[in-house]
Amino acid sequence: MTKAAAVFTRPSPLAAVARAGRFGADRGAPGVLLSVVHPLSLVTVIARSGKSKATSEVLAGLRNATAMWSGPDQYYVKSSSHGEGALFAELRKKLAGIASVIDQSHGRVTIRISGEKAVAVLAKGTPVDLHPVHFAIGKSALTQMAHVGIHLTRTGEDSFELSVFRGFAESFWEWLCEMSLEFGYQVA
Amino acid sequence: MSGFRLGKGGLIDRDRPLNFTFDGTPQQGFAGDTLASALIASGTHLMGRSFKYHRPRGAITAGAAEPNALVELREGGRKEANTRATMIELYDGLVAKSQNRWPSLNFDIGALNSLAASIFVAGFYYKTFMWPKSFWEKIYEPLIRRAAGLGTAAKEADPDRYEKSYAHCELLVIGSGPAGLMAALAGARSGGRVIFADEGAALGGSLLFEQEEIGGQSGLAWARGVIAELAAMPNVTLLPRTTIFGWFDGNVFGAVERVADHVAAPDHSVPRQRYWRIFAGKAVLATGAEERPIVFGGNDVPGVMTASAMRHYANRYAAAAGSSIAVFANNSSAMRTVRDMQAHGVNIAAVIDAREGERIVNVKGGKRVTGIELADHGSIPCDAVAMSGGWSPVVNLMCHRGARPVWDEALAAFLPPNVGEGFVAAGAAAGKMLLSQCLADGAAKGTLKGRVPAVPKCRDEAYQISPLWWVKESVGKAFVDYQNDVTVKDLPLAAHEGYSHIELAKRYTTAGMATDQGKLGNVNAIGILAEATGKSIPEIGTTTFRPFYTPVAFGALAGPFTGQHFQPVRKTPLHGWAEELGAVFVETGLWMRSSWFPKAGEDWLAAASREVLATRSGVGLCDVSTLGKIDVQGKDAGRLLDILYCNTFSTLATGKARYGLMLREDGIVFDDGTTSRLADDHFVMTTTTANAARVMSHMEFVHQALFPELDVTYTSVTEQWAQMAIAGPRARDTLNKIIDGVALDDNNTPYLAAREIRILGGMPARLFRISFSGEHAYELAVPADYGNAVARALMQAGAAFGIVPYGVEALSMMRVEKGHVAGGELNGTTTAADLGLGKMVSTKKDYIGRMMAQREGLVDAGRQCVVGIRPVDKSDRLRAGSHLLKQSDAASMGNDQGYISSVAWSPMLNEWLGLALLANGRARHGEVVRVFDGLRDNYMLAEICDPMHFDRESRRLHD
Repeated sequence: MTKAAAVFTRPSPLAAVARAGRFGADRGAPGVLLSVVHPLSLVTVIARSGKSKATSEVLAGLRNATAMWSGPDQYYVKSSSHGEGALFAELRKKLAGIASVIDQSHGRVTIRISGEKAVAVLAKGTPVDLHPVHFAIGKSALTQMAHVGIHLTRTGEDSFELSVFRGFAESFWEWLCEMSLEFGYQVA
Repeated sequence: MSGFRLGKGGLIDRDRPLNFTFDGTPQQGFAGDTLASALIASGTHLMGRSFKYHRPRGAITAGAAEPNALVELREGGRKEANTRATMIELYDGLVAKSQNRWPSLNFDIGALNSLAASIFVAGFYYKTFMWPKSFWEKIYEPLIRRAAGLGTAAKEADPDRYEKSYAHCELLVIGSGPAGLMAALAGARSGGRVIFADEGAALGGSLLFEQEEIGGQSGLAWARGVIAELAAMPNVTLLPRTTIFGWFDGNVFGAVERVADHVAAPDHSVPRQRYWRIFAGKAVLATGAEERPIVFGGNDVPGVMTASAMRHYANRYAAAAGSSIAVFANNSSAMRTVRDMQAHGVNIAAVIDAREGERIVNVKGGKRVTGIELADHGSIPCDAVAMSGGWSPVVNLMCHRGARPVWDEALAAFLPPNVGEGFVAAGAAAGKMLLSQCLADGAAKGTLKGRVPAVPKCRDEAYQISPLWWVKESVGKAFVDYQNDVTVKDLPLAAHEGYSHIELAKRYTTAGMATDQGKLGNVNAIGILAEATGKSIPEIGTTTFRPFYTPVAFGALAGPFTGQHFQPVRKTPLHGWAEELGAVFVETGLWMRSSWFPKAGEDWLAAASREVLATRSGVGLCDVSTLGKIDVQGKDAGRLLDILYCNTFSTLATGKARYGLMLREDGIVFDDGTTSRLADDHFVMTTTTANAARVMSHMEFVHQALFPELDVTYTSVTEQWAQMAIAGPRARDTLNKIIDGVALDDNNTPYLAAREIRILGGMPARLFRISFSGEHAYELAVPADYGNAVARALMQAGAAFGIVPYGVEALSMMRVEKGHVAGGELNGTTTAADLGLGKMVSTKKDYIGRMMAQREGLVDAGRQCVVGIRPVDKSDRLRAGSHLLKQSDAASMGNDQGYISSVAWSPMLNEWLGLALLANGRARHGEVVRVFDGLRDNYMLAEICDPMHFDRESRRLHD
């Protein structure tokens, strides 16, 4: 039996490329801040036939976890406070017979972008209109940026979370950094 | 050299001289100049040579429509051919070269073409180079390409960055002259998001050079006030240096912003250009009008330019086109040039008013105007000519989606078509020729809601025109289309030879082609063609307007997606582990897959062979994470799978895996893979790497469109799991070292078992006893972040058994040894029976592809089906793609029996093995066929056999 402790740490899929520091144009404060939200628990919930309402009610009652729209009758539920498989197990129990529950915690990488120029950077990739009137805080969209499928959520006036398939994460991160160059960016 | 720079006035900064070179000669201009204005100010009118006749040419315009003054800008990887000197903002260190001349701009051998001009008429190429046909490619075309042409492209990579961006607005205003300014102001004050774009370096449009009075101040001062107000509003985005190049469906506009074309080398953080896609609720076309030349003899001699260009150079850039000028016009607007040039102290040598029947028939001078000859045989010395043939509204964008412009007799111009409320024209672009009309029109069209803002008072100048399409008494060449050297003689000739339709005349004469797309010449060409054919101008009509309005660099269209970033790279969760072990990666779609793991001195074949031998004698570990994985849940999950696959899944026991075959609606095999049942209402499907996304959308279609009543959900979990194949006689021993609880055996984990287990002290994992290699094998799936660590742990656990990592090359060798079909056989032409999988096809249920699979052509006994193939001479190497013939047959289409679909070296059998698709193949095992490799032009003999070359009893699966 190999030691368990070493295996159970979750190295960030972006560890090799997301180095902390200040990059790009240097004109005062950085225009955007980038960080990798890791480790994160992320679970797909899809309502079964006729269970839309029941599903959304269960999700509305969640504590320590946030549900984000990800398609018709479909949600991503995220949490930073659950251990391996815990959010998945909890939701599977609460939603038994109501919704399909699928763990995606390792399948997607979530990147946070914030700052005065966050919208300008995102507009280089997504055709979604990010004006607060059309894309308010808490709203999510499925979109494509840099040829990669992205789940985009507005978490604040100038802050967003992007989740991307793990395999594309490095490639996408490189694009995101390049698009932030002109505004100057800080990686946390 | 100097003497043409006016002592005062203009929007140049005389305190900021800028050095540049043109054709290697050092020159100086000022901040605010364009390349063209700086050259004119220094007395350099000769800027290029024409396309066909190599005539000396100078700038005809001061703007985007410029056909003549095309230069190669910058050097090395930054070189850009055919850039318009009239649009290039001067910067310190600018380097430009003239084009299409040899050996020099001043002395160009190609100008001899002019002497033979009588043969270079319209249709010249078609008429002259007809015969012999074989001469086209090798002789005529290279000759023509060298003699006629524009600039040359850079050969080095462009070192600069390009970006793309989307933008959304309630109002897009295109053009920043009086109408555009009022439209933007009106829109901004109504609170909508406004994008205000202009192709020029500065906003202001015609107010940057026309002497106007608005609201009791100069037009320019008024414009600056409006621009300042707009700049301070948070709902307004100003986009100077931005050309809106096209109008597309959904009121989407394409634009290119020249972010850093006005500096020698952009800072790395700044893109050179940015390609915008603008989603506009409403757009206002305020692009103004383009002044037309007049077609008369010598109307291309350097020093001849449109009247508005002449005052533009003088008023904005303080550059006088000459010291003594003649003005030739058929309309009242050219009087502005007379007035303005006089105010600058320039002598007016003559005003020739076509409305009074006066004509210039010839311009004297070669590389510079020296004088003019008039219809009454008089001749007047001068060094520049201003001409005005009337004004054409810049309607291009509004015609990009098929609508045609509408002829207006009084203005002698085409007006924009009515294309609905989403896109409207304002000001001169809409044919409004009075300043007060432009301001009022802009204000009205830009208002999104509420009251139309008040319009300032201004001074108007009446406009009157009497059309003149060409001067019939012209001496020498009179050009209609400068860029293509189309003269007034070419169009009647085209009509005479049967090409009178405007679209045909365009192609026959080339009028309206190339980089300027006839912006200056087309209306004159239409007028001349109308006269030649006796038709009216509306009857002749225009050619088709298409994007792009002006040329757009490929760099801007490609954006950041070049080189390594041409497409995204997809890495598996085991990429790090494979890299540590020295894997060589291969691109499979977007994925990077470990292909082989060479040791020192090994090539791919040696490495992959070693990996096969080690796996088949001990244990091997392969990254199979790229296979598509789809999680299927719901009470109708089994039912959906039964519809998708030609075999049955609803009967699969929980805890078991089954191989499945999916057909297309037309009965051809689509995809294959194993599907496992984890619970009564929970399956996990696997797809091939290549088809993962396609299978997912196929499922969505089948469920949403065909069987919406099914209570089932499906979602891709490809990226959630790191999946590895552990294969070989010691696979189970290896796994047992990391598995929690009861060790694996044939009872708890028989062949085709699918289990959720724990490993390494509590880590969740899925274990499938399935095999692609033909060995006793498992696939282990763990949450992706743990992939590298688990693979390392397995390598450690298997060390005692000689575990090796193996890549897709070894995988492919083993599957060919075992006769398992893959991409080469699932190639979009084969049926289940062709693949030898006919027995899988259910006869008890309906499924996608069932009906069409029964078509007679698909059940024909003679169809090509999968067989094994091995060379008769064991030293021969089979090649995939080789065709199969009967032993005595020659290689011909008629004799073709099939082809080799997959080939691999077999380390176990020490020979090259293959799979092939052979007509009636299953009945031909044992037959020796002739193999023809057309690429290498060789033949060999090979024996047809069962596809399963190795371990035909599949004992190894269970050992």
